Amino acid sequence: MNGALSPRLRGLLALGGGGLVAALATGHPELAVLATPFLVFVGVSLALAREPQLTACIDLDRTRLLEGERAAAMVTLVNEEAHAAEVELGLAHSRYLTLEPARPIVLQLARLATVTVEVSVCPERWGAHSVGPLIVHARDSMAALTWNRRLGERVAVRVFPREQRLRELVAPLRMQPFLGAHVGRSRSEGIEFADTRPFQAGDVARQVNWRASARRGSLHVTERHPEQASDVVLLLDTFAEAREGARGTLDAAVRATATLARAHLARRDRVGLVDFGGTLHWLEPAFGTTQLYRIIDALLSSEIAFSYAWRATESIPRRVLPPGALILAVTPLLDERSIRLVTDLRMRGCDLTVVEVSPLAHTTPGPAPADPLAFRLWRLQRDALRARLQGLGIGVAVWGDDETLGPALEGVNAFRRSARHALRA
Amino acid sequence: MLGAIVAGDAGRSVALAWTGAGLATLLLACGLAASSPAPVHCGVAVLGAILLLRHSDRLLLAPLYGGGLLLVAELGVRSIELRGVGLIDPGSIGTRLGVLVAVAAVGVCAGACAALAVTGAPSRSLLVTAAGAIAAVAVCAAIALAARRS
Repeated sequence: MNGALSPRLRGLLALGGGGLVAALATGHPELAVLATPFLVFVGVSLALAREPQLTACIDLDRTRLLEGERAAAMVTLVNEEAHAAEVELGLAHSRYLTLEPARPIVLQLARLATVTVEVSVCPERWGAHSVGPLIVHARDSMAALTWNRRLGERVAVRVFPREQRLRELVAPLRMQPFLGAHVGRSRSEGIEFADTRPFQAGDVARQVNWRASARRGSLHVTERHPEQASDVVLLLDTFAEAREGARGTLDAAVRATATLARAHLARRDRVGLVDFGGTLHWLEPAFGTTQLYRIIDALLSSEIAFSYAWRATESIPRRVLPPGALILAVTPLLDERSIRLVTDLRMRGCDLTVVEVSPLAHTTPGPAPADPLAFRLWRLQRDALRARLQGLGIGVAVWGDDETLGPALEGVNAFRRSARHALRA
Repeated sequence: MLGAIVAGDAGRSVALAWTGAGLATLLLACGLAASSPAPVHCGVAVLGAILLLRHSDRLLLAPLYGGGLLLVAELGVRSIELRGVGLIDPGSIGTRLGVLVAVAAVGVCAGACAALAVTGAPSRSLLVTAAGAIAAVAVCAAIALAARRS
C-alpha cells in the first residue's frame, strides 16, 4: 500500500520550492539559503520513509456484560519491521459503547517492538455491540508519509439488560396441566389446602384427613389445589418509541420484558416472545434457562424498524399464542397498529395485560405558546385510551423506567381480581 | 524572536518589519486555533520574506534563520497533529523532536554551505541564473520523484 504524503510535508516542499523560485526571481540569494533547510528536511524525510509492517489483535476480558459494567480491551500492536514507526490508534466501536480514552492514542513503536494498550469499554445500553477493528494511521519515523489501515478483527460484545426483582407477577386466569408454581383452582394432588369431602372409592389412604374424620364420625379426605404452570407470551411493541437523547421507551420495554421473562421462567411457566413491529420475530413458548437465554438474545437485537406495513393478529402464527395463554403486551401505546392488536386479541378472548411503558419521561412540550395545551390534550387522549382498554377488561400497568415494576403489576392484579368474572367471560 | 532579529536592523523599514512579524504571528495563531497547517506555513513564508528588510548580514544570518523557520513550522504543525489525541506516548514526542532538531541542524549546515557558495560565486549573470534555475528544478524533480515512489 502506498503511503500518502502528509500535508505538513507538502507545505514544507512548497515553502522550499517557493524560496528557490523567489530567489531566482528577485535575485536575493538569501531566500535560496532560507529554503535549503526545508528542502534538506523534505529530502531526508522521503529518503528515510519506510512503510511500517504492523499487526494487531484485540482481546476483551469479558464479552458478556450487564448494562453499566466495564470491560477491558487489550490492544496489542506489533511492529514487524526493522524501522521505528509512529502510530495513531483509534478503536472502532458501536454507537452505544463508550471508550476510555475516547480519543486516539499516539504511540512510538520501536523496531520489532510489541506494545499493549488497555482501553476501557463501557456500554450505555443493552444490545449486541462490537469493538474493533483497529483504525491505524501509521507514519514513518520522520512522519513524512502516512499509511491508513484497519487491523485486527471485530469482537462481539453482548450487553444484557439490567433486570428488576419481582415479588409478584400477573396471575394468569388459566393454567396448563404442567407442574409449576401457580396455585390452580381445580382440585387434585398438591400442597395448598382446598377442601375436605367424604371418602369415595378410589381415594388414596394418605389423603384421609383424620381430624375431620374423627370430628364427623366418617372418613373424610383432604382436597388440595395443584401447582400448575401457565403459558405466558410476552408481546414487545417495536413499531414506535419515544426517545430523548440516549434514553427511550424501547430501552425500558426491553428491560421490562427481560424481567418478566426471567420471573415467569423461574416459576416454571412456559414463556414465548413476539417482537411485533416493522419486522416480526417470535419464539414459541418453552421452559427453562435455555429459553431465557433465547429470549434475551432475541431482545438484544430489538430495534425500531420504521414501516408503513399494516400488521394484525393474523401475522402472528397460531402456535406462538397457545390457547389460554397470558399475554403481556409491553408497549408505549404510541402506534395505532399496536393498540389495534391489543384490542383485537382481547376481543378474541385472550387473557391480556398491557404494561404501558410511559413515554411522558421522554417527551417535553415544545416552546410555542400552544404546545403545553397540546401536551395536556395528548395526555388526556392517553388517559382516555387507557380507560377504553380497561373497559374491555384489559389491565393496564403504567410504568416508568425509573420506577420498579412490582407496584404497577400489583395494581393490575387488583384490577383483574375485580374484573375476574368479565375476564372469564 | 525571528521578527525581532529582522526589525533590529531594518532601518527605515522597521515599521514594515514589525508589521510583517505581527502578521506572521497572527497567521500562526490562526493556524493553531483552526487546526490547519496552511496558515502556519503562510506565516513562516511571511517571516522568511521579511528577512530581506534587514540591512546587513542577511547572508550570514540566513542559514540559522532558515533553521529557525523550519523549527517554527514543524513545531506548529506537530502541535496541531497532537490536538484531539487522548493518550500520547512520551517517547513519540521526544523521538520526533530529536529527529527534527538533528535534521534541522543538517539543513542549517547545508544552508551555510550554500551561503558560502553564494559568497564565493561571481556576480549575477545569465549563466549563474540558468545554473540556479536548473538546480532548483532538479531538486524539486528529485523530491517529487521520491514522493511518487513512496
